[in-house]
Amino acid sequence: MIALALLRFLARTPWSTAMALIGMALGVTSIVSVHLVSASISSRLDGLVPGALSEYSHYLHRDKLDTADYLALRKQWRAGALPAITQLSPLVDETTTLEGQSVRVLGADLLARPPSAGAKAIAEQFSWNGAWVDQSLKDQLSIPINGIIEAPKGTLLADIATAHDLLGWRPNQLSYVGLVLSDAFAGSIETAEKLLPGFGAGFPSAKPSLDLAPGWQLVSTAEQYPAREFGKSILFNISALGMLALLVAWLLIYQVAVSWLRRLWPVFDRLHVLGVEWQQLRAYFLFSIGLIATLAAALGLVTGWWLASWLLGMAVPGQEINLNLDSWVIFKAVGSAVAVCLLGGAWAFHRSQQEVSHSSLPAILTLLLLIAATWCVFQPQTGLAGGFFAIAVLSLAASQTIAPLLTRLKRWASMIRGSYLLRVGVREALWHPAELSVALAGLSLAIATAIGVALMVDSFRVDFSQMLDHRLKYDLIAQGDKTALKTFANINKTATLADRIQVYRNTDIRVNGLSMELDISRMDAFESSRYGYSRSLASNGILLSEQAARSLQLSVGDALTVAGEKMTISGMFSAFGDLKPKLIVNDRSPLADALAAQLQVDSVAFKSDRPEILVAALRKQFPALELRLQSDIRRVALKTFDQTFAITTVLITIALLVAAISVYIAVTTMRLNRQTGRQLLNTLGVNRTEQLMMNIALGTGLGLVAIIIALPLGVMFGWILCNVINPRAFGWTIELQLSAEALLRSCTWGMLAAIAAGILQGGDHEEGAFGGR
Amino acid sequence: MTRPSALDVKNISKHYQDGSRQIDVIRDLSFSVAAGESLSVTGPSGSGKSTLLNLLAGLLELDGGDMTLALKDKTFSYRTADERSRTALRRQHIGYVYQFFNLVPTLTVLENVRLPARLNQQRELERHAATLLGEFGLSDRLHDFPETLSGGEQQRVAVARALLLKPPLLLADEPTGNLDAENSNHVADLLFSSCREQNISLVLATHSTEVAGMADTRLHLDTQLPLDTRSQDRQSP
Ligand SMILES: Nc1ncnc2c1ncn2[C@@H]1O[C@H](COP(=O)(O)OP(=O)(O)OP(=O)(O)O)[C@@H](O)[C@H]1O
Ligand SMILES: [Mg+2]
Repeated sequence: MIALALLRFLARTPWSTAMALIGMALGVTSIVSVHLVSASISSRLDGLVPGALSEYSHYLHRDKLDTADYLALRKQWRAGALPAITQLSPLVDETTTLEGQSVRVLGADLLARPPSAGAKAIAEQFSWNGAWVDQSLKDQLSIPINGIIEAPKGTLLADIATAHDLLGWRPNQLSYVGLVLSDAFAGSIETAEKLLPGFGAGFPSAKPSLDLAPGWQLVSTAEQYPAREFGKSILFNISALGMLALLVAWLLIYQVAVSWLRRLWPVFDRLHVLGVEWQQLRAYFLFSIGLIATLAAALGLVTGWWLASWLLGMAVPGQEINLNLDSWVIFKAVGSAVAVCLLGGAWAFHRSQQEVSHSSLPAILTLLLLIAATWCVFQPQTGLAGGFFAIAVLSLAASQTIAPLLTRLKRWASMIRGSYLLRVGVREALWHPAELSVALAGLSLAIATAIGVALMVDSFRVDFSQMLDHRLKYDLIAQGDKTALKTFANINKTATLADRIQVYRNTDIRVNGLSMELDISRMDAFESSRYGYSRSLASNGILLSEQAARSLQLSVGDALTVAGEKMTISGMFSAFGDLKPKLIVNDRSPLADALAAQLQVDSVAFKSDRPEILVAALRKQFPALELRLQSDIRRVALKTFDQTFAITTVLITIALLVAAISVYIAVTTMRLNRQTGRQLLNTLGVNRTEQLMMNIALGTGLGLVAIIIALPLGVMFGWILCNVINPRAFGWTIELQLSAEALLRSCTWGMLAAIAAGILQGGDHEEGAFGGR
Repeated sequence: MTRPSALDVKNISKHYQDGSRQIDVIRDLSFSVAAGESLSVTGPSGSGKSTLLNLLAGLLELDGGDMTLALKDKTFSYRTADERSRTALRRQHIGYVYQFFNLVPTLTVLENVRLPARLNQQRELERHAATLLGEFGLSDRLHDFPETLSGGEQQRVAVARALLLKPPLLLADEPTGNLDAENSNHVADLLFSSCREQNISLVLATHSTEVAGMADTRLHLDTQLPLDTRSQDRQSP
């Protein structure tokens, strides 16, 4: 009987029922798509580290490392002097040319541990002189192949002795030592990573102090693989944004549950009067909302999957995308929908029965959290997680101010002037904190995020194009064909064609155990100015990228020893987008001679009045050269830049959309719950156009309240993103520019979302007229 | 004294469709009201009092018959009027008082009363609003919001608003239904005397025989269907 009454009621109000389903499904969609996008990027990043090395958490480096060093270390460990280490093993890791292929040779002690991780045996007979290779090398080498491993292109894994043979090394030579350090949090971070891909990158890798003999350098996986770490940091940013989308989605789902209850409440009230127990009614309510939640979760999983493929297709075009709906994401989607619905619904049910007394506990808690967040902002060792913790706490604090703000604004409401109907619309937005504050919190969070990210991206774009202006002083860049490039190294000027020719040589080196890129070129005043240094670089001078300075913890004027040469840091430059820390020295420097053997010509730049003619001439002479005009480089760079932030934009759009639906549902609930006088105004002869105007005014009012909160919050977000998140994630700082355009753009979108929520009143006719009978 | 009728109702009918069932609420009803005269509508719950008033307000569409209302320069015919012109009629020429929820909660007392003048761009009547509220004993509540007013005060504000435009027709649906005897008399007095003074035709639905007795004419509606098919709607004591 009760079920029948409920079903009939729901069938009679199909619009609101559909709205609840759609709203919740959208929430789930945003959760699912964000998760899938992050997980896909994450697995691609994990592929950057060969499976055979994935178990090591740290590495030990040493100049001219050999087996004697390793055995001494091992002895120390066996004596119990290094309790933090749970495993250690010697490793060979060197890139060489084998049969015309550039191959990264990994040598490990396969006697102690055979290559298990993802290895697929293909040989009939296992051979100690054979190797395991990644898919790309499968048919390229003449040595016996034992199996296929998961690893980046061009990787070969062999027993350490075989590796020595392949490289032609002395038998006691080693590259470094792999370590597994015990970490109490590793397990929980791994689980968290499953639920929130990219989460782990938020924590600075622990660097325990080991009591090591002098000469050893401890390096974490993050430092060993900066490219992977760079990607993981981007991933963490996306994942943190996704967390925000999750929060907004939760608010929406809660909002749906509450409005569901409000719709059913009159029915329940009557049934209760007729003698039905509250407990039974609650069970019915929870069952019905749980059913909607399950349906919505299923719908959201499908649309989320679709959205994620579309997003990835847009952000990384041309790459194969395979997303799988694993049990984690299903758990997260269904769990979010059902749990938030049931808990939120039960709470709302409880509140409908009895008033809940207010306590000051939440305020005190928030204050404590704010203090903790401030501490995190100024303590770099709290890592990315610290930065995002601050953002989360600020969001929490801001959403708590909504209800008091509305109460205060309501007091001033009689001061609102202008058309009476507009007054009604705007005041309605302020009149019902109980119904609207949750949705408004969601909206202002979404707007604040939009503002914060827009400020960051715009500031970043300014800095980035400034950097391009500095760097792009040449008209043409040639890369590729090394023999062709080498011919330019010996001429100073091709007078007829170019005014200036600049040759760049580079190599990878280790500085204090960290892998860096060293660039060597003729650093006269013109060239130095490209890096913001106004004079010609002294022969013992060195320029550091911001990332290099940060990871070495050095600044201008400090001394730095590179490959045995003592250099002085003359300047620092920003290098947005660089994966590796970069060092620049003059080609007259002693370093250039010391490293002459390993330096490779990387590129040659030309300055010319007529670059097109130059391009044609070079094409003819060196057909294999890759030639790029400065204007193209600039265009491509900015395009890549914008593409990087495409996912961010879409995520924010989703959050705004979800927030708008949440506001719409809240407004509908409010109309259902309160006498807003709309029917009365109809009786007084207010026509449709005027009602539409009032709805727009209502939406504007809601938008204004959300923006009042979102503006300062968003600027704070922007500041944290530029000065806390970016340095911690990528090693560079961005100067925050309060661009009016960015602020206006985000607020406009937020305002439009609120107005849309106000206008979208298709469900009005279902609310039942009052007083008309 | 016979005056020309302001409101003429001829053979009107109205039915509701409830699924496949048709409920005839009003069948073949005729009456007329002269300017400045009052008509009380009584009848058991569900007899169609509110339906009649809503038809007169143009909130509902006629199913049969016709009604006309004499305006200053023309006669308004309900049958041929579309929704737009009925809305305009309500806005300019009809005052309406409900049993409750008569006031827009987000407008102050003064704003509520001025609202019809604003909607019709008759600024000169706005000053009149405060005077009217003063006459009704509400001069110290002008800038308060309705939620702070008592039921009787709210009804007086509603009457003041209905009177502001001096419309040819004022409709009141159980305006005293929610009030105690003293307040009820006060509000009814205000309604009847103001309408008479200002030559406004008043149609008032009520359950109270006392209030009904104050009208010039009485119309009694009968239940035309068995009672169990009627919804029990806001019964007044
Ligand atoms: N929108 C509607 N749809 C279907 N039936 C309706 C609708 N409005 C009213 N009715 C029916 O029309 C009949 C008359 O209702 P009405 O509200 O006019 O009665 P009333 O005389 O005002 O009653 P009361 O004294 O209780 O206010 C009732 O049976 C009611 O159920
Ligand atoms: Mg009635």
